[in-house]
Amino acid sequence: MKLKDQIIKTMMYATGLLVAVVALFPLAWMVISGFKAKTEVLSTPFRFFPKDWMFSNYSSILEDPMFLKSMLVTFTGAVIFAVLSLIINSMAAYVFARLEFRFKRTLWVFVILTMFVPGMAILLTSFIVVTKMHMLDTMAVLILPGVASAGHMFFIRQFYLNIPLALEEAAFIDGANRWKIFTSIFFPMSYPVFVIVGIGSYLGYWNSFVWPTMTITNVDMFQIMQFLNTFRSERSTEMGLLMAGSTLAAIPTIILFLIFQKYIIKGIKISGLK
Amino acid sequence: MKKKTRLDNVTAFTMLIPIVVLLTIFVVIPFIYALYVSFYDWSFYQDSEFVGWSNFSNVLSDPLFMMSIETGLKFALFVVPAQMILAFFFAHVIRGMGTKLSGFIKTSIYIPTIISGIIASIIFVFIYDYNAGLANVIVNMFGVENQAWLADAKTALGSIAIPAVWLGFGITSLIMLAGLLDIPESYYEAADLEGAGSWTKMVYITIPLMKNVVLYLLIVGFTGAIQQFELPLVMTGGGPLNETTTPNLYIFNHFRNDLLVGHSIASALLLFVVLGSISAIIFKVLNSEKAVDG
Repeated sequence: MKLKDQIIKTMMYATGLLVAVVALFPLAWMVISGFKAKTEVLSTPFRFFPKDWMFSNYSSILEDPMFLKSMLVTFTGAVIFAVLSLIINSMAAYVFARLEFRFKRTLWVFVILTMFVPGMAILLTSFIVVTKMHMLDTMAVLILPGVASAGHMFFIRQFYLNIPLALEEAAFIDGANRWKIFTSIFFPMSYPVFVIVGIGSYLGYWNSFVWPTMTITNVDMFQIMQFLNTFRSERSTEMGLLMAGSTLAAIPTIILFLIFQKYIIKGIKISGLK
Repeated sequence: MKKKTRLDNVTAFTMLIPIVVLLTIFVVIPFIYALYVSFYDWSFYQDSEFVGWSNFSNVLSDPLFMMSIETGLKFALFVVPAQMILAFFFAHVIRGMGTKLSGFIKTSIYIPTIISGIIASIIFVFIYDYNAGLANVIVNMFGVENQAWLADAKTALGSIAIPAVWLGFGITSLIMLAGLLDIPESYYEAADLEGAGSWTKMVYITIPLMKNVVLYLLIVGFTGAIQQFELPLVMTGGGPLNETTTPNLYIFNHFRNDLLVGHSIASALLLFVVLGSISAIIFKVLNSEKAVDG
């Protein structure tokens, strides 16, 4: 019996590690291909590691002003997007979780119904709307259309529903008004849920491709995924360079994830079902 | 008690202004506009003309649209069951491991989930390369000749399904794991006392108690997969012979190439009716207990 348990345990470890390796393999291959000469990325026979490790791909993609610019522009946009998303959606979440007011039910239904409108159905008409608002090729066109999100609002609200009423009542007795309660009690207590929603918003922005492709034509405003895809189709022979660029474009998200992974993995439990 | 029913109209409206205004401008107006355009022969360059339901009937009689729905369903059938079964077993593996190592493994399998479809496409286009891609290196080991994975109508869709599984596997496993950990250990202990084997425990305890998790993942996975279009857009452009044109890619390609957009919008709305009802069901299932107060 003991031996059997031991074998099962060992097999579990082996499977676990194997799956982790398989999951990470494509990324590892991308990172390592960034160190290869362009002819070596797809050389036969297949080699995982480069013959000579060269750093020139990484250094020359970093010297490409367009690459750096699109990383920077996207990063700035993503941070603004995430912060605005937290402010706008958490205010609404608080109002719907705690306040009583006229038309509450109507406004709730209005906001929630927007969750069911699929992006593709409004892709073109949204494009027409932003064109009429003269927003093409601006930061606003990347940030404003997606920043209010019923889904995120709903998620934050679920969290607020679990904050004890007593906390709020005590503040009321001390004379605090709603704004004060929101900014000094709810906002600071939201840290765990803000990490999840903030990172979700950040990633959504960072990884978005279709919307920027439609609304941004000025190369100085190119978003990183747009840059990568253009690079891929225009300079397809520069494979090592493309791999180095893709690696660098993935790094900010991976670092962010590694810093906050505890919260994110915990958050899966909340977001999954409850 | 009075305090609870007092109305905070001004505060509430002030705090709701941003979300309501933004959703109105960027979701509701485009949506109503889309409904309107779907009944017109609308284009950027000419006056629009009311055409009634003809956009919708054109879409429904377009064999390519029907084919794209079929492609979307096939794609979902490749991705969802594979992902669910792998994740179900892998969640058990993680649960059986010590906490130290399982933390590392949870992190590793989750990382692909945060990677963009574009980067995944770039990587997998190289993996599927005809002459020197890894996929052919692997099948060569089993004595199979090189395949043109993405260019062959027989293999293209399946080849795109693999990066889709790769991207979604981590989150699916972790949600499964969360579901598994919610099952009280005492159920299994009781079953052990009764002398139940692991198969019996799986069939009578784990699977019934995981029903909601599985249902949730099935619906979310299914609606997500059928709407996938970044991977085929970048990897194959919908080819070969439209074999990888998913419904959303069909619509997107029409947006880019057609002057008359009523047609694409009508197809998007038709798809929306189907997917919207599925999402409404998810919402109903998930939110049955904690719905709006009152």
